[in-house]
Amino acid sequence: MAEPTPQTRVLIANRGELAVRIARVARTLGMESVLAASAADRDSLAAREADRVVVIGSAPARESYLNAPRIMHAAIATRCTALHPGYGFLSEQPTLVDMCADNGITFIGPTAEAMRKVGDKLSARALARSVGVPMTSGSERLTSTAQALEVAGQIGYPVITKASAGGGGRGMVVACNPAELATSFEKASAVAREVFGDGTLYLERFVERARHIEVQLVGDGKGHVVHFGERDCSLQRRYQKMIEEAPAAILPETARMQLQQAAISLLSRIRYRNAGTVEFLYDEPTQQFFFMEVNARLQVEHPVSEFVTGVDLVRIQLLLATETGALPPQPAVRVSGHAIEARILAEDPNRDFLPSPGRVTRWRPPAGDGIRVDTAVTEGTLIPPFYDSMIAKLVVHGRTRADATERLAGALARFEIEGVATNLRLLQFVVDHPDYRSNRTDTRWLERTLLPAFRAQ
Amino acid sequence: MNKITQNDIEALIELFDRSDWRELRVVGNGIDLFVSKDSNARRSIDSTTVAPAGAESPPRGPPTPISQPAAARTPPAHWVVIRAPCIGTFYNAPEPGAPAFVSIGQSVSLDTEVCLVEVMKLFTTVRAGVIGTIRELLVADAELVEFDQPLFYVEPDG
Repeated sequence: MAEPTPQTRVLIANRGELAVRIARVARTLGMESVLAASAADRDSLAAREADRVVVIGSAPARESYLNAPRIMHAAIATRCTALHPGYGFLSEQPTLVDMCADNGITFIGPTAEAMRKVGDKLSARALARSVGVPMTSGSERLTSTAQALEVAGQIGYPVITKASAGGGGRGMVVACNPAELATSFEKASAVAREVFGDGTLYLERFVERARHIEVQLVGDGKGHVVHFGERDCSLQRRYQKMIEEAPAAILPETARMQLQQAAISLLSRIRYRNAGTVEFLYDEPTQQFFFMEVNARLQVEHPVSEFVTGVDLVRIQLLLATETGALPPQPAVRVSGHAIEARILAEDPNRDFLPSPGRVTRWRPPAGDGIRVDTAVTEGTLIPPFYDSMIAKLVVHGRTRADATERLAGALARFEIEGVATNLRLLQFVVDHPDYRSNRTDTRWLERTLLPAFRAQ
Repeated sequence: MNKITQNDIEALIELFDRSDWRELRVVGNGIDLFVSKDSNARRSIDSTTVAPAGAESPPRGPPTPISQPAAARTPPAHWVVIRAPCIGTFYNAPEPGAPAFVSIGQSVSLDTEVCLVEVMKLFTTVRAGVIGTIRELLVADAELVEFDQPLFYVEPDG
């Protein structure tokens, strides 16, 4: 008879739809879950789905979801054996990983060492270079505007400034000439210092009409890394993704395989553990791709990869934490059909995307074959003003990209939300646009072409 | 479920009395009723901070002995509640074996220290924030408290 496995109890250090998801997956695996919630989320759907809720602090994130000591206290006091950080908040903070290790709690994510290696953008570039992954020409850390101007002259304009310590568009400024760089460098560094506590910047050659393509990976921590296909996340506003798809339909087969192989080499080199993503810029005319960064966590848009591979990534994450060998062999991962995710945000596109928290008075998500809605919202839910404005992810699957697009258009049209302003109309406008239908977009298309057209209608 | 009336609660308690149940918990519509036949029963905490009914063997924190008799009791409306500033371990004394910061019947002023809340070895002093008399101690020493959890009832002066 097999030894009884000790009960796994997972602390969920997150909120919203992903917290709901983790609690449900844990239950199906016979694991228990404890939600570390803020006071604003004590009545949330995630709180109802978890086996236990511990209110760790008041609503602001730094009092709750960004407060590592309080989260650890909750995990220890409720005798959790594992901790899932979700995405955002503390998910990429190596100090939380260290605290888990000090207290005998399994962190469901990469090691602190891997996180540090890829979390610093310059060290991630060095890692990518060491395994021969192509990247745009760029600089090392820059300390002054004068130095930036000198380096930019060598790289060639346009250039983009990037913060070494983080992403999300903060500290990123595109400069097309020395005058623009001179005026923006200090400002970008100040933003980086403010947001990441580190004002270190570097420069990269700016690829003007690129696609954002990323590869989903999961590693077992022993050097075995499996990819779950790639995603095209080119539709962005201010570097925030709005619509994501899998697979990247524009990729020729050779480029696809090269991209996946590059991502695997990169994460295998550091014996990456659990879920992660390697992001690339792809230049369609030359079919070249360039390393951008590694996201050492599960990402918001992971459901499109789940839809096309039929694999539950959260389930694999939780199983890996109990070391029962959950990683399928690479040949078992097959991509079938096409999936698209649209992020439903409580933001008003007609008022410059002003966040619109409040009570949801009507909530009728679409349902049906090939439609999945990940959300923590039900009718009557109060969207608190303290956090991210994403309230749902509408994910569809079809045989082809055209089928999936058609299904998404129908699902968006049937989605009824009242009480808070949302971006539903904008998403419909995107999906109906001929450029989107013919897949002729890039990372700047939404801001350059679509938003002006949307405002003009 | 419609509005819960006094009659409903009396009927529930009567039902409970006649049953062989040891504990009964009713949550919803703005009430949180917890009755128990066990004098050492855990005091009902804020309804929103416990597992929903139906969760099988919900995980428990460290043992939480409590000196208060279990009851669903509402303090007089003018009493003031001192609440936990965050999650942590509640300590009623500055160090093990030392006299408690406060006891029932003791007068407190705004900055009287009433307890410590410890989060990962970091101790936060909680002060009364009110001038009055301690009427009830709601949490036992070394118990896990959550954010906003009531710790003391104080009857304010005047």
